[in-house]
Amino acid sequence: MISRRALELSTAILTGSFGAAVVVSSLDNGIGWSSAGVDAGTFPFLTGVIIVLGSLYNLVRGALPAATLASVPVAITPTELRRLASLFVPAAIFVAAIPLLGMYLASAIYIFAVLAIPRHQSMPRALAMAAATALALYVVFERMFQVTLPHGALAAAFGF
Amino acid sequence: MDNLQELLHGFTIAVTVPHLVLMVIGVLLGILVGVLPGLGAPNGVSLLLPLTFGMQPVSAIILLSSMYWGALFGGSVTSILFNIPGEPSSVATTFDGYPMARDGRPTTALATAFGSAAFGALVGVILITFLASWVAQVALAFGPPEYFAVYFLAFASFVGMGGAAPIKTVVALAIGFAIAAIGIDTVSGSVRLTMGVDELVKGVSFVVAVMGLFGIGELLVAVEEEVHARAVSSKIDWGEVFRAVARLPRHGVALLRSAAIGCWMGITPGGPTAASFMSYGIARRFSRRGRHFGTGEVEGIISPETADHAAGTSALLPMLSLGIPGSATAAVMMGGLMIWGLNPGPMLFVDQKDFVWGLIASMYVGNIVAVALVLLTVPVFAALMRIPFVIIAPLIVIICVVGAYSVSNSYLDVVMMLGFGIVGYLFKKLFYPLAPLVLAIVIGDKAEDAFRQSMLMSKGSLGIFFANRLVTCLVVAGIALLLLPLVLQLTRIWRKPTSPAHETTSQEKVII
Repeated sequence: MISRRALELSTAILTGSFGAAVVVSSLDNGIGWSSAGVDAGTFPFLTGVIIVLGSLYNLVRGALPAATLASVPVAITPTELRRLASLFVPAAIFVAAIPLLGMYLASAIYIFAVLAIPRHQSMPRALAMAAATALALYVVFERMFQVTLPHGALAAAFGF
Repeated sequence: MDNLQELLHGFTIAVTVPHLVLMVIGVLLGILVGVLPGLGAPNGVSLLLPLTFGMQPVSAIILLSSMYWGALFGGSVTSILFNIPGEPSSVATTFDGYPMARDGRPTTALATAFGSAAFGALVGVILITFLASWVAQVALAFGPPEYFAVYFLAFASFVGMGGAAPIKTVVALAIGFAIAAIGIDTVSGSVRLTMGVDELVKGVSFVVAVMGLFGIGELLVAVEEEVHARAVSSKIDWGEVFRAVARLPRHGVALLRSAAIGCWMGITPGGPTAASFMSYGIARRFSRRGRHFGTGEVEGIISPETADHAAGTSALLPMLSLGIPGSATAAVMMGGLMIWGLNPGPMLFVDQKDFVWGLIASMYVGNIVAVALVLLTVPVFAALMRIPFVIIAPLIVIICVVGAYSVSNSYLDVVMMLGFGIVGYLFKKLFYPLAPLVLAIVIGDKAEDAFRQSMLMSKGSLGIFFANRLVTCLVVAGIALLLLPLVLQLTRIWRKPTSPAHETTSQEKVII
């Protein structure tokens, strides 16, 4: 179970650290006024400062026992977390597999895995859908719009 | 009268067979993304964007804008029939639309919604027809300080009127600006904010951000809530369609009021979502039958729908005449304009008359096409909703992955898209608004350029933003909007020292 407060705090920390990274990184470009006008780092520096300050405010508000937060104490229940993971984890594995397997093979395996393993569909139907997805991608992108999708290291090793 | 002549010329461009075919394709695709949870107008339009690079700009914008109309209509279909808003802006339609459909009057609910939506869109287009070229003419005299002031006003109005927590809006905006700054700086040529990743030199495309924030993010929210479609009958009784539309004029006051709210919220970027909620809230307060709202009141459907479509349509006005999009989808379209080599802003009305008036004329035709098609296809798309979500979800993931990759054939984009997905989920969950984030990514560079050019003109003095009456007015209005939430909070504390604000929470929940 993840509480609303924990989610608010971690999001504020996430945005705040992004802001801090922006501030630090923009210092390399120089901030302030030079002979060529406003230095390149100035604008990002200011946005970074705004992000950090805003995140600090959100952090403090998230930490305080505010009335609006108390009305929704639980943000994500364990069941919801499981559902989220069941969508996101396979998707992340799919994206991670693209450089090796290529878009077509990776997406076919991805479709097959999410449909057949939790037994949402029978084996043959899942296979058919996986094949149809890869084929549709190939026809639409490689053929119709002439966009080459990544073929993957594996295909390259076999000489495609 | 010049406008009318230009408009007639526009019709000769818009009403040709190829463009009508594009409208039909666009509207159908739009209804599709509008109906499917997890795909919305912003990422539908950005998915289609790479496919338009070879087209004439006017054909491309007709396709994309038709998709936008389709998505606006499609979102209402699922709101009414399934109680599942396909688009964030049609959430308010579920309040009265679904109860009415459940009570055995689905056709009445749908026809009322589409009729009032068409009215809202019509008011929006008429406003664009008569106002856009005038605004553009005024804007032709703008220099960098005026432009920066207008950008500032646009962003301030998100903070002041967007409806989400003000500081969260500010953070979302600033993050968008920072993302826009990544890559090569157009003024000095130096590389910024790449954090050591060489591939980031090309910058972060708004398409990648939209695909993640709206696509994956919305999908994660949808899977968490486990959408289950409990459909009411989706059969259309054609006689009732005409009777329902004929009854609309009786609610003339509500129609006009909602259209006005919608146009206002569309032009000053508040967005369609905020507009529909505001309109619903005001209707409930002023209607004689206000107590019955939520049980299937006609005005409870008319108000959000009219405002939603009026806002969605008029969001294109500032995009065309000033180069400032009024909604997330308009921001994506404006990104498209820049990719096609057009410069959004007042010069469009001088250099690209065919484009501008072709688009405006196509809005009239496109909305008629959309109403007709959406009525005809309700049963088809309602059947689509019965496909289990477990099958649709991975397909949408693949569409987003391929869409992000095809922007610039970069694997890094795909990984970033997934990262944006997590951010989109967190932001949605915690009511950070997403529309200002996307807007800032698209026009961040232009706002920064305007700021730096102004500074060059004034040799580093901020006084240039108060140099003449126009720019002072814009800046002061912007500051006033920024301070508006603070003032409201103070007056609330002044009046009732102890009671916490509950009124905004239901709206906060869905504002994106």
